[in-house]
Amino acid sequence: MVTALLIVHALCAVFMLGALTHQTLSVWWPPAPGERSFFASFRAVRAAAYSNAIAAMFVITAALGAILYPSYRLAVRVVLEDLRLNWANGIFELKEHFVALGLGVLPTYLYYWREPAGDNALGIRVLTTLLAFIVWWGFIVGHVLNNIRGFGS
Amino acid sequence: MKAARVLPVFSAAYAVIYLVAMYENLALATYYPRLRQWFALTVTDLPKSAGPAMYWYGWIATAAIGGAVVALLALALPERPLARFMAVASWAAPLGAVLVIAFLLRGWFLA
Repeated sequence: MVTALLIVHALCAVFMLGALTHQTLSVWWPPAPGERSFFASFRAVRAAAYSNAIAAMFVITAALGAILYPSYRLAVRVVLEDLRLNWANGIFELKEHFVALGLGVLPTYLYYWREPAGDNALGIRVLTTLLAFIVWWGFIVGHVLNNIRGFGS
Repeated sequence: MKAARVLPVFSAAYAVIYLVAMYENLALATYYPRLRQWFALTVTDLPKSAGPAMYWYGWIATAAIGGAVVALLALALPERPLARFMAVASWAAPLGAVLVIAFLLRGWFLA
C-alpha cells in the first residue's frame, strides 16, 4: 500500500513538474512573435490555464506526502540517522518546510493568475517560480532518498 | 471577489507564522507515528518508547489558522493601499521564509 501511494505521489509530482516548468518559462521568457523552435513552443503555452490544475495537484501531492510521512519517519529517517547521512536528513527537512510554505502560497498564486493586473505581474512571476522551485526540490529529494532507502527495501 | 483581495494577506501571514511556529515549535497538534496517536498542541514529554514525534502537521495547522485570522482582520483595511503593499509582501514573505529556513537548517550540511 505504501509503495503504491509513493508511486502515485511521484507521478503527481511529475505532472506538476511539467506544468510548472512550462508556466515558469512562459512568464519569464515568452516567445517572440513568429518564433517556431522547440524551446519557443515549450514556452508558448496558455500559462493561466495551468494554474487550477497545478494548485489541485500540489494539494493532492502534498496530501499523499502527508499520508506517507509517518512511514518515512519510522522506516527511513532512522536508517539515515544510523548511517550518519546528515545531508540526506537535511534535504528532506528542507523539503517538508518548503512544501508547507508552498501550500500557503497557493491561494495568492490562484488569485493573481485570475486577476493578472499590473500590480500583480511581479507576484505572478515570483510565486510561480517559487512553486516550481519547491516542486523541483521535492521531486529531486524524494528521488535521492528513495535511491538511498526506498520503501519496502 | 471582494473578500478574495485578502488572500495575499493570508499567504504572507501564513509564511511568517509557519516560520515562527517551526522555530519555536508551536504546533496545534502532535502526532506519534509509532503509537498512531494524535495529541493536542505541542507534546514533547512522552517516554522514549513512544518513538519520534511529528510536529509538521501541527505547524501547518497553526500557520493556516493564524493566516486566516490575520486575513479576516485585513478585510477592515482600505483596499488600494493594502493591495499596493501586498503586491510585494505576498511574495517577499514566503520567499524570505524559504531563505530563513534554509539558513536555520544549515547545521545538517555543516556537521
